[in-house]
Amino acid sequence: MNLQQYNISENNFEQCIKCTVCTVYCPVVPLNEDFPGPKHAGPDGERLRLKDPDFFEKSLKYCLNCKRCEVACPSGVRIGDIIQSARIKHNTDTPKLRDMLLANTDFVGRMSTPLAPLVNMTLKLKPVKAVMDSVLKIDHRRVFPSYARQTFESWYRKHAAEQQQNFRKHVSYFHGCYANYNYPQLGKDLVKVMNAAGYGVHLLEKEKCCGVALISNGLINQATRQGKHNIASIRRSVVEQDMPVIGTSSTCIFTLRDEYPHLLHIDNADVRDRVELATRFLFRLIDEGKLKLVFRKDYKKRVAYHTACHMEKLGWAIYSTSLLRMIPGLDFVMLDSQCCGIAGTYGFKKENYRTSQGIGAPLFRQIESLGLDYVATDCETCKWQIEMSTSVPVMNPVSILAEALDVEATIQANR
Amino acid sequence: MKFDTIIIGGGLAGLVCGIRLQEGGHKCAMVSTGQSALHFSSGSFDLLATLPDGTPVEHPLEAMSRLESPHPYARIGADNIARYDREFPEMMKRAGIGLTGSATRNHYHFTPMGTMKKTWLTLDEFVTFDEPSRLPWHRVVLVNFPGFLDFYTKFIADEFEKAGVSCTPVQVTLPFIEKLRSNPTEMRSANIARTFDSTGHIDELLRELKPHCGEADAVVMPAVFGLSSPAPLEYLKEQLGKPLCPLATMPPSVPGIRMQQQLTKHFVHLGGTFMLGDTVDRADIENNEVKAVYTTNHADIRLTADHYILATGSFFSRGIIARPDSVYEPIFDLDVFYDTDRSKWYDADVFAPQRYMTFGVMTTDSFRALRKGVELTNLHAVGSVLSGHNALHEGCGGGVSIMSALHVADSLLNDK
Amino acid sequence: MGKTGNGTEFDVIVIGGGATGAGTARDCAMRGLRVLLLERFDYTNGATGRNHGLLHSGARYAVNDGESAAECIRENRILRRIASHCVEENGGLFISLPEDDLSYQDKFVESCRKAGIEAEAIDPKEAIRLEPSVNPSLTGAVKVPDGSIDPFRLTIANILDARAHGAVTLTYQEVTGFIREQDRIVGVQTYNSKTKERTEFRAAIVVNASGIWGHHIAGLAGVTVNMYPAKGALLIFGHRVNNMVLNRCRKAADADILVPGDTITVIGTTSTRIPYEEIDHMHVTADEVDLLLTEGEKLAPALADTRILRAYAGVRPLVAADNDPTGRNISRGIVLLDHASRDGLEGFLTITGGKLVTYRLMAEWATDLVCKKLGVNAVCRTADEALPGSRLTKEEEKRYPVGNVYRAAESRHGELARQMDLHDAYDNSLVCECEGVSVGEANYALRALDATDLASLRRRTRIGMGTCQGELCACRAAGLLAKAHNCTEKAKHELVDFLNERWKGMSPVAWGESLRESQFSAWVYEGNCQLGNNKKEVKP
Repeated sequence: MNLQQYNISENNFEQCIKCTVCTVYCPVVPLNEDFPGPKHAGPDGERLRLKDPDFFEKSLKYCLNCKRCEVACPSGVRIGDIIQSARIKHNTDTPKLRDMLLANTDFVGRMSTPLAPLVNMTLKLKPVKAVMDSVLKIDHRRVFPSYARQTFESWYRKHAAEQQQNFRKHVSYFHGCYANYNYPQLGKDLVKVMNAAGYGVHLLEKEKCCGVALISNGLINQATRQGKHNIASIRRSVVEQDMPVIGTSSTCIFTLRDEYPHLLHIDNADVRDRVELATRFLFRLIDEGKLKLVFRKDYKKRVAYHTACHMEKLGWAIYSTSLLRMIPGLDFVMLDSQCCGIAGTYGFKKENYRTSQGIGAPLFRQIESLGLDYVATDCETCKWQIEMSTSVPVMNPVSILAEALDVEATIQANR
Repeated sequence: MKFDTIIIGGGLAGLVCGIRLQEGGHKCAMVSTGQSALHFSSGSFDLLATLPDGTPVEHPLEAMSRLESPHPYARIGADNIARYDREFPEMMKRAGIGLTGSATRNHYHFTPMGTMKKTWLTLDEFVTFDEPSRLPWHRVVLVNFPGFLDFYTKFIADEFEKAGVSCTPVQVTLPFIEKLRSNPTEMRSANIARTFDSTGHIDELLRELKPHCGEADAVVMPAVFGLSSPAPLEYLKEQLGKPLCPLATMPPSVPGIRMQQQLTKHFVHLGGTFMLGDTVDRADIENNEVKAVYTTNHADIRLTADHYILATGSFFSRGIIARPDSVYEPIFDLDVFYDTDRSKWYDADVFAPQRYMTFGVMTTDSFRALRKGVELTNLHAVGSVLSGHNALHEGCGGGVSIMSALHVADSLLNDK
Repeated sequence: MGKTGNGTEFDVIVIGGGATGAGTARDCAMRGLRVLLLERFDYTNGATGRNHGLLHSGARYAVNDGESAAECIRENRILRRIASHCVEENGGLFISLPEDDLSYQDKFVESCRKAGIEAEAIDPKEAIRLEPSVNPSLTGAVKVPDGSIDPFRLTIANILDARAHGAVTLTYQEVTGFIREQDRIVGVQTYNSKTKERTEFRAAIVVNASGIWGHHIAGLAGVTVNMYPAKGALLIFGHRVNNMVLNRCRKAADADILVPGDTITVIGTTSTRIPYEEIDHMHVTADEVDLLLTEGEKLAPALADTRILRAYAGVRPLVAADNDPTGRNISRGIVLLDHASRDGLEGFLTITGGKLVTYRLMAEWATDLVCKKLGVNAVCRTADEALPGSRLTKEEEKRYPVGNVYRAAESRHGELARQMDLHDAYDNSLVCECEGVSVGEANYALRALDATDLASLRRRTRIGMGTCQGELCACRAAGLLAKAHNCTEKAKHELVDFLNERWKGMSPVAWGESLRESQFSAWVYEGNCQLGNNKKEVKP
């Protein structure tokens, strides 16, 4: 008999057995009573929406898409995906100008780069903030990440591209908007670490923003277009050139691997396993005995690791933390895994500011209490949020590795 | 990734085993699909309330001799159980969890319905009794928050009154809980508890509550205090000036969640690696020995260890999975005890002993897992994934998890 | 004219609180008669509450029974009008699969047209577009005006309207015997299973509308009506798999109708002749479940891995006519027996046969005969006047503030939802999260819809009918029951009975997610709450 052998349907919501565990771990519910909570917005609501689409509630937009409900669920229900899919399917509101601006991170980045000093200064001006607050509903208390004068891509082409051919092994780097427009140093650090490990680093043929902000702001068609484009580029790297793709942003990588197929229905099955974070790539090499990293003896820092929500969902914090723990002079502290409240563009919106800062408060308190040199995290929006809300600078683990690495000794050790 | 021991399943059995092993110097990793059934715990652990033949048990240790293999207790042995009865509360204390009770004699505590339930160990925050229906109070106030539907004041008052205790119902209205109530679904115990985690909120509760407590001998309330630490509860107890009698609520259970978090933290604090939200999908097995396991998140990156422990639970946690015609163990395809005739899985009375509850993996007397009748040398099974017992009917679920976990952990530690 | 024990006089007593009985009570009351309806348990306890919930277009009967088919489509159109809050106008498809004879389609379409049913053969691709869950290997499809109907709401709406017209309706009143004067029935003796009281009620005419139990009731009156108990088993899937009713375009067979209704989808039915003695003890067997699944997957392949919530069975109240062992070839036609002309017994009628969809017509026939016998000259208006709950105009619907709690209530009760207290946060809290039933709605049912226990509360509101089958809500509902009716002890027993009743439907399909759910429920209620502990006996 072949009936009902594997009762796992595409409609994953029906695996929910109403145990309510997800509701305990939703960071939004305690702070925003308009959000119906993950159980009701997710699996319960989905059943009602199948009965009548009018059961779709606009308040689903308060979901951070942090996926902490999914991590907690003992039944493997993709609660966050259900909520986001419902928004994609049922929301008829056209995105506001603000949401379009916040969502188009690469467009805005491209426009801002040539005028970086001006833009950075302008975004700090009180009148500008007031206008953004009242007209665009971008909260005036929010500190904007500043734009770099030179993008990572143009730095790479000028200063790094050529040398990459000298390596025997190669990877492609999905740098993401943040490393490109706001903080090219992260990309430079990645190149430094990978080169020391014996890998040439290449850009994808053409990289577009992963689209995570487009998805959360309801610009699904644009997100799908960019997603398809990215997967095609990734496929050329992975399939045609046998170059795996690594990244330094947990959100970008998570989006490429999981949100594309689950929310945008972009088939990435043939390449998904070869798209990952640089820390996971390095960890695997070390775990398999293929790589040895040597660190500077004079490096002394106290660093706490913050597990970004998407990192929690990926389950990959262990790679970044294991690498950090390998640095002999690094005094490592693991922060409690909890949402910082920013969730990409969510925290920028005026209506979410209070919720956003409320969610992050316990984390900020813990960080301030520890006497740290750095907080390490794999997510750039967590970095903005923590830097804005605490006094501690935040670094990507790759940047800390780059800072602590003894490049020459590492090259020698792997020769 | 290399560990001494990999524990599959982060529920009660997995955590107890992991903590014991970490304390003994093993380097452990624990992989847990999601949060565990501890989230529904009523705040106590049962050891043995009824023998399989239905005889009620007052003195669990004495009754152990009447169980036969494959019952896990028969395999562990009464002497070991007596020893763990002494050692387990000590271990829990090190994790910050205080427990009352003894395997020599069962005690009683309140159910969410206000009835009495026989049990072995109960969290210190609850009130326990040596005899059912003999309460040390004449009058109590029974407190609830308007609109909290998972706490049944009528039923509870009814039971108290049957026991000769007069019950004054009190509804406490607090602005921060009213705010919660404006959401049609989220008036849940854990969310209420979270509001009380904020400073000052317990004081507001006390201000509302105290005027009602004048004559009462005790204050009965839903157990909605202290989600992430016992501090709010301790503060409430200290300030109330009357005995506080919290009653467990319907799921989610605040004391259960706190216990899970404390155990997890303790495990991590001892150096254990806890992988939440990940699932072990398959394993490499060679010559009846597990060589590695693979998880969803770590994909091709193998998790390897000298020993593996299966603590994946029963049907609820998918430790075993029922198809219409069979029951299987999804990771290792271990031998599972079940009946091939589905109609024999169930009793028509939902409260009668259900046979499906006794299904689980089959092991040797030392809890080594069996696969096609052959034992896997480095894979042990612990907790409710085990066959040979009916956790509900015998009132032995928590006990089997704890005892088998400690027993297997000790056997691995002694092995070294 | 008769008298009751407490002096109230009735013209007619209707036995049976199914759709037919409720419809007859309504019709009689609307024609000015003084009506008493007696139901042994709760409304909709029999076949009314145990079928597909299919608003037949009649297409299914068109080939073999044109008369029934024509009745169906007429009533189908009436119900869309008068019972709009019970009806979902989903439309239906009769699909041909590769193993079916496609030439049957022509005959089918032709027969439908003859019966007055709009039937249109459409391209299989169009069928897939209309209903994406349909088996993609279909070779043909015919579109018909099938729909879904909620028999619980339909019956209660009839009861409410009967009452609005002066009828008295009583539940838990079992008819135990008849009061007979010579060759005339003048009343009934009853036993109230809740109060344990025995009462006599008198009326000029007694209508036996008790479905399959009509056999027994007729026996009590000393006449013979041979009912044909044919058990039909059905399965409920956890959510709406399809939005159109799916049928097989072939001679009617087992498990070939898949009906979406409210939040769920139902597949059915089997057909097995059973001894009359078993009609109160229906259990769905593993073989029936397997058959339903095997056939169901052919209609919609997604059923192969869709979670099944429960299995249930009803008994078709067909009147025995021939020796057909399957009971399928019996006419679904309406049977109205005047026991005066048939058996020489005055004052007693039996109305049976028929279908849920034709309940109103059955009621009309029965009421016509009652009126004739009483010499009352009043026309039937039940086809013209909308039922309570279906009296909202589209404009009125729009005017009311929305919100999911209210929306869910209105989807079940139509404009009656406005009588609910849904004004503050407490009333709006959800008791049943799966189905979106609020405290206000539950309290309304407890107050105004004869919900005297948890089972009737479930039938009125869908509490406990969702995915968790009462795991999360049963206890909350028991709490509300205890409060509303001040019956703490009873509510506790009710809770035990309710969970047992849910288990009865879950156990035949308890594997996969359903067994996980069952185990979880057992932990909560038996493990944590110690419910049913006093009943725990060990079977040797």
